[in-house]
Amino acid sequence: MEKGGQIEDSEILDRNKELRASSTKAQPRRVLRPLAPSTYLLRNLGKTAPLVGVIMLAVLLVAGIISMIDSIPYSIRTTYNYSQEMVGITPRGDPTQTQVILSDVRKNSPVPLERIVICRVSSTQIHSIVGKWPFYVLGLSPADMDFYLHRQHSTGITGRLPEVGKAECVVSDPVARNLALKIGSVVQGPDMDESWSPYRVKVVGIAHTDRWLIVNPIQYQRENHFPPIDLGMVFAKNLHDQNILDHWTEKHFKGKRAAVLAYFQIEKNTQDMFKTLFAILDVVIGTLVMVITFMMGMLMNIYQSQRLVEFGLLQAIGYTKKNLLMRVLREAVAVITLGWLFGVLLAFAMLNVVRATLMAPKAFGLDTLDPTAFRYTIPLPLTILLVATLTVFLRFRKFDPVGVVERRLV
Amino acid sequence: MIAAVKASLVYYDHGKPVYACHEIDLEIKTNEFLGILGPSGSGKSSLLYLLSGLKTPSSGDVRLDGKSLVEMKDAERSNLRLREFGFVFQQPYLLGYLSALENVLVAQNGPQVEEAISILEKLGLGPKIDRLPHELSGGERQRVCVARALLGQPRVIFADEPTAALDHKNGVAVVELLNRHRETGSLVMVTHDPSMLEGADRIVRLVDGELET
Ligand SMILES: Nc1ncnc2c1ncn2[C@@H]1O[C@H](COP(=O)(O)OP(=O)(O)OP(=O)(O)O)[C@@H](O)[C@H]1O
Ligand SMILES: [Mg+2]
Repeated sequence: MEKGGQIEDSEILDRNKELRASSTKAQPRRVLRPLAPSTYLLRNLGKTAPLVGVIMLAVLLVAGIISMIDSIPYSIRTTYNYSQEMVGITPRGDPTQTQVILSDVRKNSPVPLERIVICRVSSTQIHSIVGKWPFYVLGLSPADMDFYLHRQHSTGITGRLPEVGKAECVVSDPVARNLALKIGSVVQGPDMDESWSPYRVKVVGIAHTDRWLIVNPIQYQRENHFPPIDLGMVFAKNLHDQNILDHWTEKHFKGKRAAVLAYFQIEKNTQDMFKTLFAILDVVIGTLVMVITFMMGMLMNIYQSQRLVEFGLLQAIGYTKKNLLMRVLREAVAVITLGWLFGVLLAFAMLNVVRATLMAPKAFGLDTLDPTAFRYTIPLPLTILLVATLTVFLRFRKFDPVGVVERRLV
Repeated sequence: MIAAVKASLVYYDHGKPVYACHEIDLEIKTNEFLGILGPSGSGKSSLLYLLSGLKTPSSGDVRLDGKSLVEMKDAERSNLRLREFGFVFQQPYLLGYLSALENVLVAQNGPQVEEAISILEKLGLGPKIDRLPHELSGGERQRVCVARALLGQPRVIFADEPTAALDHKNGVAVVELLNRHRETGSLVMVTHDPSMLEGADRIVRLVDGELET
């Protein structure tokens, strides 16, 4: 298109298409778009590859750091997400209140209920990349245990369910991997400080589900664990209703003799817990981005200076500053996009390797497609592009093609 | 067709004005071959820059078909240089990462690869069109620059000492090719060597920025 006598880039591109079409014999290093960004980039790999490489490594670094740190809240969410299926209510140490509380819920619940389960709880621990975390053994009746396993997406059990009243338990796949448990392994015992029980509680079955769980007979817990208080677990019909029920329960029992345990509280606590850490990360990553942008800006500036004769010549021949600016910007966009893309791909590959070799065997959570990590890499290409645009623009603003062409003043 | 009207170009040397061109009146006609002779520093290159719109006159005007180049927008002048003019600069600048053929195509004046190849062949560079500039001799590079100027049959070619780096035989060949361009356009050639201007319709001499009559 011709606009006010000025040749638009698109026209040059169109012409180049014609050029290509009219080419007869293909020669090895002959291009018919001599001013296409790819030509410069590919023929000056010594300059462009390091630029792509630096951006790639920077993106890898940022994505890697953020993914690893974000794996901690991610692990918390995956480890405890079994609790999104129900809301737990305890009578704050008063065993007479359990039934009172539960009939209150039954009567006033805003959503239809699927089931109310009475349980006992004793504690144990699981491993995480930042040390040990508390975990709970749920004591359930045989019927409730069936229901609970089903509700936690169990597709089947290797081994068997625990016998009534016996020191036996079922663990799920991730728990088994995390604690290296097999059938016959001991989960709680008299010589285990953090997972104490008067008898050695052995694994008799492994439930196949991604959810984390350990269940054993409620009778065993009633006979052997303190305090002698039953807890209630209230199940709605589905997760949507459950969420409504969770919030209602928390509000309903506020200030009363009942403690509510719901998944959204875990979510919120986790978020609060990591807020400060991520604020610090913002500063660290921000500094990193600045350093890298500064370096890249200098490098690009040097490369552009080396091309002043080229720009002078092209301008003298009749390319406008705008043509040249657009061309350089396209090159910059190509380099930066490639660097970022390779960085993201490399990060994804690396995280997958880390997960497969280091994390998965212990069922540690790591999201290799973590949107947070991905988000943190975005400022990098943008600021580099901004700095590149700015330096190029400043360079072109005062630029005399004749001075360059005639006198080699660069 | 192109006319300089009392065109001057002034440089300032420590605040003191130096006239590279002084009130030059000169017209180049269609299909004319105009030779410009003059000693070093007399303002020959400067005059070419004025005529081609690469530099704006400090005073006076340059007109193409009666239209003032001074009043044109930058982009319009650029487009004129790209479409209507061809340049052979005093220094044989080529893009180092492009082959001879690709360097010629950069001119973008005419889209024909065939045309570019045929010009290069006529300039004796047929077997070397895929070489990079550093694989060419100085004279060969200069001829590639000439080919770049010729591509697309521009209305005017401005050649600033196109034969300076060539031996006599090649110099003559280059001038002949430039001269043949007159079938479709004009040629303005600056040179030190009067023997290169045998085919010229007209020769003007510049001394200290002024035309000698
Ligand atoms: N940017 C500049 N600043 C100051 N003086 C300049 C500048 N450019 C050119 N001149 C002066 O203008 C005069 C004409 O220069 P020009 O390059 O046109 O000469 P020329 O005839 O092409 O010489 P040559 O044959 O050596 O190429 C010279 O005296 C030169 O010193
Ligand atoms: Mg000169």
